[in-house]
Amino acid sequence: MRRWVVVFMAIVALAALAVSPALAAEKIKLIMSIHTDFNREGLDDYIRAYEQLHPEIEIVKEVTPFEDYLKKIQIASVSGRGADIYHVYSLWGVELAKSGILDAPPPAVKNDVRKNYVPVAVNGVTINGDIWGIPTEIDNYALVYNKRLLREGGYSEPPRTWDELVEMAKKLTRFDSNGNIKQYGFTFLAGWESAVVHPFLAMLWSNGGEFLSADFKKALFNSPQGVEALEAQLKLFREKGTDVNGSVWDFPNGNIAMMVMAPWDENNLKTTMGERYADVGVAPIPVMKKPATALYTWFAGVGKSSKHKKEAWDFLMWLTAQVQGPNQTTRMGDYLAQRVGAIPSRKIDTENHPKELNDQYTATFIRELKNSIAEPNVAQGAEIKIILMNEIMAAWYGKKDARAALDDAASQINAILAKHYK
Amino acid sequence: MPARRAKRTISTVILVLCGVTMILPFAWLLASALKTRAELVAVPPVWIPKAPQWGNFVAVIGEVPLFAYYLNSLIVAGGISFSVLMTSAMAGFALAKYDFRGRDVVFKGILATMMLPSFIFIIPVYYMMRRVPLAGGNDWLGLGGYGLLHSHLSMILPFAVSAWGVFLMRQFMLGIPDSLLDAARIDGASEGRIFWNIILPLTKPALATVGIFTFISQWNNLFWPLVIATSAPELTTLTVGLKMLAIAFDPNRNSHLILAGLTLGILPVTFLFASLQRYYVKGIAMTGIKD
Amino acid sequence: MSKRTRTAWLFLLPVLIFYAIFLVFPVLSSFFLSFREWNMLTPPLQAPNVGWSNYKYIFTEDRVFLKALSNTFIYAMVTVPVSTALSILLAVLVYGRRRDGFWRLLFFLPTITTPVAIGMVWMYLYRPNYGLINSILNAFGLHSLDWLNNPATALLSIMITAVWAGVGTNMLILYAGLKDIPETYYEAAAIDGAHGWRRFWYITFPLLKPAILFVFVTGMIAAWQVFDFIVAMTAPALGKAGGPINSTMTMVLYMYQTAFEYLNMGRASAMAYVLFVIVLGISLVQLRLFRRGGIESY
Repeated sequence: MRRWVVVFMAIVALAALAVSPALAAEKIKLIMSIHTDFNREGLDDYIRAYEQLHPEIEIVKEVTPFEDYLKKIQIASVSGRGADIYHVYSLWGVELAKSGILDAPPPAVKNDVRKNYVPVAVNGVTINGDIWGIPTEIDNYALVYNKRLLREGGYSEPPRTWDELVEMAKKLTRFDSNGNIKQYGFTFLAGWESAVVHPFLAMLWSNGGEFLSADFKKALFNSPQGVEALEAQLKLFREKGTDVNGSVWDFPNGNIAMMVMAPWDENNLKTTMGERYADVGVAPIPVMKKPATALYTWFAGVGKSSKHKKEAWDFLMWLTAQVQGPNQTTRMGDYLAQRVGAIPSRKIDTENHPKELNDQYTATFIRELKNSIAEPNVAQGAEIKIILMNEIMAAWYGKKDARAALDDAASQINAILAKHYK
Repeated sequence: MPARRAKRTISTVILVLCGVTMILPFAWLLASALKTRAELVAVPPVWIPKAPQWGNFVAVIGEVPLFAYYLNSLIVAGGISFSVLMTSAMAGFALAKYDFRGRDVVFKGILATMMLPSFIFIIPVYYMMRRVPLAGGNDWLGLGGYGLLHSHLSMILPFAVSAWGVFLMRQFMLGIPDSLLDAARIDGASEGRIFWNIILPLTKPALATVGIFTFISQWNNLFWPLVIATSAPELTTLTVGLKMLAIAFDPNRNSHLILAGLTLGILPVTFLFASLQRYYVKGIAMTGIKD
Repeated sequence: MSKRTRTAWLFLLPVLIFYAIFLVFPVLSSFFLSFREWNMLTPPLQAPNVGWSNYKYIFTEDRVFLKALSNTFIYAMVTVPVSTALSILLAVLVYGRRRDGFWRLLFFLPTITTPVAIGMVWMYLYRPNYGLINSILNAFGLHSLDWLNNPATALLSIMITAVWAGVGTNMLILYAGLKDIPETYYEAAAIDGAHGWRRFWYITFPLLKPAILFVFVTGMIAAWQVFDFIVAMTAPALGKAGGPINSTMTMVLYMYQTAFEYLNMGRASAMAYVLFVIVLGISLVQLRLFRRGGIESY
């Protein structure tokens, strides 16, 4: 019988051996965690160029779809295999810094960030008064419309006010004989928390309302201005200018007249629409009381568990801060403007990128930067926005009126804020 | 008897209706995997594609490492099945053919584990996997590395024993006459030899049932592979990979590719499993009804 | 200890070691963790003790958990009886047919197909504007429904798919049960003039009862842990699994999100224990029913 025990032990021992890591590689390996939409053509060229400059370093990309990206960053850390370099959404930064996943940048990096980036981007990487990374892309929202559909509906101009938008959306919506919508006048972004919350924030701010108090102790969006903003959205549903099944992703099919969108959709529209891309028009979000839109940022940082923090920061600075080329821009600036389709945040890049930033699609977003308000870096930001999203959608679905939905969201969010801001 | 014939007709109609419902989603999947993007979103719907887009399959294979997913699923489901077979046969043998104090307690205890919801183990097991000493860069205290978390073992070990398997093997072995064992003992065979040379060959039908049933259910398992593959994409199994199709290809733009991927992911396996129906059905039938 | 006894324990050893490591220890640890606040990034023994607050939170402040609890309850209480009843009907209809093998294979197909894939296919069938189901409805002159897109019908849509996918397994178990009923019973009944409905009610059903109970109760335990269908059908279309507005949020899905998205291991452990108590309660009922159903080996 003892033989069995021996065999069993041998199997266990073999298994343990099999999974022990291979001997340490000679090169310094930097794992760079990014999301799919940031993995565009051209990034590999920069990586290879840097590896040639520094033969001792090897940079490996780990690409995760946006939907799973935050989860992936956290679970990788929990599993003991955190990345060396992260490119993250600013709002997540609060949690990632608090839970010890992000490394605090060296003083030289912090000073560079404070000096050389546009203020909204610096705010984006500022968490509890301290800088946690290097700002990369800025995204805000505008009204994207199909010129052909507007023309067919008898409109030569996009709407300027929300009332005009509701009126136009109603006229531009067409139904088939079964009552299904076959052409949407307007569709809302939906599917993840920012998609629903950001456009609402834009309208809230346009209507003179506030999101959270400055000290993050209280939700303010359920003010009369907020209720009015949500009411304005609901009017679209009631007047059949949109419904809950409309999807902005059908825009390239040519059956959506208007939607609220961010700069990053540019490449997708170009590739899926082909020649019909000429129909795409961009205008500011129709105003309620004053021009305003929502803005968010991303930043690059280094993992706290990284064994090569210095090398990681060096690479990031090379990528984001070194000015080069005929246009005197940074590599990150070029990459964002030309490949990702986002707005760069380093001052010199916004100044020296006239061509890419002034095209048919992006120009309006750039002009709207002056009206853009950044979403605050609040603790539990993702959770807070999920709550707000669910309540806004409850109003869309007609389960609650605007006031009840926002009040319910505010009371849940206040309970969360009370735990983090005393 | 006309009433009887009417009844027969009604029952046929019901069966045919249900049968069509069963087959329709598969038929739709197969047809849609061959459609163009435009045909998929057409109103009214296109049932059969005008020109079958075989290129969809090529495009999916080019974009998604389906073969690697298959291999991972094979390693994981195969590893689990093998381990479940060995442990179930051994434990079933002990519980069926030996009389010792505590036997019934052990047996009932093993049966009782079937009532535990799996989520109750998940969090500690995940952490334990990271802290396995001397594996994945860990020291002998289990600190410093990632343990077994980025190896197939992390997917196999937590399912290496199946209470259902033990139960089924025991039930089957109860039917083997003790006289066979006693005869072998008189001939001087050791207990290990009896198990290996007499019991195992006799339990082949039960082993086939346990093995195939375990393999199929583990092949289709999503939860644990999803948790593990989040930090170890190289371990992505077919189920996780199929779920990821919706993310890899935007469902709003590339549904034809998602559906082609689903087709490649399930049809071959479904037909293979269907051919093993006999064993599978025996497994479910043996569990609760006959004792 | 006699030699035989020692041998028996040796044969049991792998299973016992496994249960000690992968069952007893984790179950106790989970209980410990349910009183802690832990994100798995720090050593677990240093996690702060928060007493009963995890339990208190999920039952008082956390609206999502209560929603998940009620959704799961509805899901279990609807899908299991419907699926059981349907599978009895199908088993009886198929039994004794000439090509019963063909029919069994037909109903068998969904049961062995990966649930995630089934869910994803059905997600497409349910699409509001160009989905197959709505176009069938339209063909019969009925209006389209929003199915998964509407919080009022989303859970129902998932339950329909679950019944579709699960009815085959149950049918096969019941079919096996039918086959075990000796033909002589029916012959005797025929002599007594019992046919059709009466025959089913007085002979088939009582003899099938153990199988029906088995189907019912194991279905119940599985239904309380539903995960795959929800993830497959709601995540791709709606971005976040469990939507819209948490109308398809279930216990295990919410635990998964709490643990592996919000890194709140303590709270997730508390939820796991709540689920454990529920499933245990069902299992105790199961034991009783089985005894009454005449199955002594359980």
